[in-house]
Amino acid sequence: MEQRVEFKARKRQFLPPDFVRAMLAGHSALGLAFAALIYVVCLSGTVCVFVLELQRWEQPDAPYVTRALTPDEVGAALRAGQAQALADNAAHDLFIGGPNPATPRFSVNYHDHETGAEGSWLADADGRLAARVKAPFSEFIGALHMELHLPRTWGRFIVGLTGVALLSSLISGLLSHPRIFKDAFSLRWGGSRRLQEADLHNRLGVWGLPFHVVVSLSGALLGLSTLIVGVLALAAYNGDSVEAFAAILGPRASADETAAPIPDVAAMIRHVEAQRPGAVFTSVHIDHIGKSGQVVHLGMRTPGHLAMANHYYFKGDGTPLGDGGLETGGVGQQILGVLQPLHFGWFGGYPVKIAYGVLGLALTIITHTGVTIWLARRRDKGRPVPHWERIWAAVGWGQPVAIAASGIVALYAGASFVLGTYLATVVAALLMAAVMPSAAATAAVLRLSGAAVFIGLVGVHAALWVGRIGDPMAWIVDGALLAIAACLAMPLARRTRGRPLGPAPRLVVGEDRPSSRDYQTGRPQTTFRRDRARQLYIRGLLCSKASNRSSTT
Amino acid sequence: MVALVTAAGTLLLCGGIALLRLSWLGKRPRNLPYLAGGWLLTGGGLAAFDYAWNAEVGTAYGLVALSLAAYGIIALGIENRWHKAPKLRDIALEPEERTTNWPRAIAKALLSIVLAGIAAIGVGVAFAVAMPMATHDRMVVGGLLVPILWGAGMAWTLSDAKLVRATLVLGSISALGYGIAFLPKVLP
Repeated sequence: MEQRVEFKARKRQFLPPDFVRAMLAGHSALGLAFAALIYVVCLSGTVCVFVLELQRWEQPDAPYVTRALTPDEVGAALRAGQAQALADNAAHDLFIGGPNPATPRFSVNYHDHETGAEGSWLADADGRLAARVKAPFSEFIGALHMELHLPRTWGRFIVGLTGVALLSSLISGLLSHPRIFKDAFSLRWGGSRRLQEADLHNRLGVWGLPFHVVVSLSGALLGLSTLIVGVLALAAYNGDSVEAFAAILGPRASADETAAPIPDVAAMIRHVEAQRPGAVFTSVHIDHIGKSGQVVHLGMRTPGHLAMANHYYFKGDGTPLGDGGLETGGVGQQILGVLQPLHFGWFGGYPVKIAYGVLGLALTIITHTGVTIWLARRRDKGRPVPHWERIWAAVGWGQPVAIAASGIVALYAGASFVLGTYLATVVAALLMAAVMPSAAATAAVLRLSGAAVFIGLVGVHAALWVGRIGDPMAWIVDGALLAIAACLAMPLARRTRGRPLGPAPRLVVGEDRPSSRDYQTGRPQTTFRRDRARQLYIRGLLCSKASNRSSTT
Repeated sequence: MVALVTAAGTLLLCGGIALLRLSWLGKRPRNLPYLAGGWLLTGGGLAAFDYAWNAEVGTAYGLVALSLAAYGIIALGIENRWHKAPKLRDIALEPEERTTNWPRAIAKALLSIVLAGIAAIGVGVAFAVAMPMATHDRMVVGGLLVPILWGAGMAWTLSDAKLVRATLVLGSISALGYGIAFLPKVLP
């Protein structure tokens, strides 16, 4: 994070200036190295907070359930799901998700990890399978955030590493910001671009710190879990990762593949309800369904906890095998229980989701401004890098265009061309940046394109679903998409209408031609008091060195 | 009742942040009442969330509300500087200037990404194997330590100009971590 300079030899500082400058150098290097990755992960993560709403928007004629399910309704869905899985030749593992604070959908999924066959359905309140899940855009966004569309193991590792880099940036950012309290409320807009971006970067970073730490830490842990458990398995489980995971996530099915009746989930739900009054069904996962070795993980949520549910384990014949302690167990179990809801904001309904959306956007802006501060610093020092300015504008403003364009293709053509569209749009944005005269022009074109594509996305959705929308969430998401389009376009309209006519005075040191233009607005920077600016700049460096000396003596 | 206390907690948080801003605008010692009052109201707001929802859920809600309240107060106090040149004291401190080259940059990357990661995983796995805690607790806390230590190691190695020192420290930590983690396997 940017730090204001101390020009006077003041009282001894908590963090020595040399240390701060070294931290700042590390912060810059790390931020620049991971900037694009962190930006994509943060932006897609912000969208992912609402991925369950996007699923409803993509299939607005599908049923949704606004009340708690009865055990018999879950049992009916299980039987229907198993029959369908057998018909699809995919009866191996079966998952049922009930309505919960994050989504009112009643879903049934089955998967055979040996053949790769799988199916996803939405059920009505009576447990009848009503429609196959068709949400290619939501799946695309989820995979972009969690795996960057790379092979799963590598993708998750890289996203986990990105989380570590973000966490590291938070640590180095804090340690390079000793005036954290003195600058606590400064937000100076206009004038020096570098000062404005630094204020935005620091204020959003510091005041959102609990959120930033929680999402980066939980994201890193989720992404790196395979690697960590793999090493743990080598050390303590004879290299058996499945056994190591089972020690954390609960018992898995045994290898006994002889046929057996499917479990009586309704009885299991009643068993838990009798033990934990107030517990509500949220999910059930059956490993090796219909086999003698099958194991049931029943998710039941008790009010007053962050965890989405506690898991209760049963054998196929209904024998209890204990529970995961995700709500009231040990520290480790409770941490495990809150990882996912705290990471995605799925613990307090829509107010928390909206708050997470705002805070996620703040983290995305922090990432973006981190690079723009570096670019502005280069320009202030007379060493501008206009090509990188344009590229970063294309990376930043190209993502909304690419995501919205992927949405249009997903609605029209399904999953087949979504990733291709996203990549093509990102490449097109970068190519456009190469021929644009400035970063400002690049950003303006991409913002306007983004607004147009978002409006197009709403138009396509309306054209496809007009007269068939049964889920009111679809209208809300359409409204939100139009609001995003307005947000993308509005600052441009205001810029042409209401900005001060004269260029704002800049603290410019360099004499070379490129630095005489603001890299974001494209306006000529005034040479107003350039000599004075040079004097101030040099004096600042000298005072900074004097301050360093005074603090070390 | 819950909604009422939550609303009160939100107001207390907003009031607390507003008082802290007033304290920030003033000068000592005249701003001390604002400072004390601000922290008091902020603490009261978080306590109200805890009272309304319980400590587990209320703390999460309270911290989210605190961040949003601070964003709101800062946005309200935005300073428009379109016609002002930056003041001398506003100039950002420069990062340390270091001469670098490709081999050094690659060495730094290997240190901060690979060796710091190896060391962090070693410590995390050693914790998961050797700590006298319940299995779940030591495994999850050990796992949680990995990104924290990796991130801290990354921040340190990138800010420390001395590559040999970082290599030695991280190498020693790795040896110690994996030694503890794999010791039970090699012992008869």
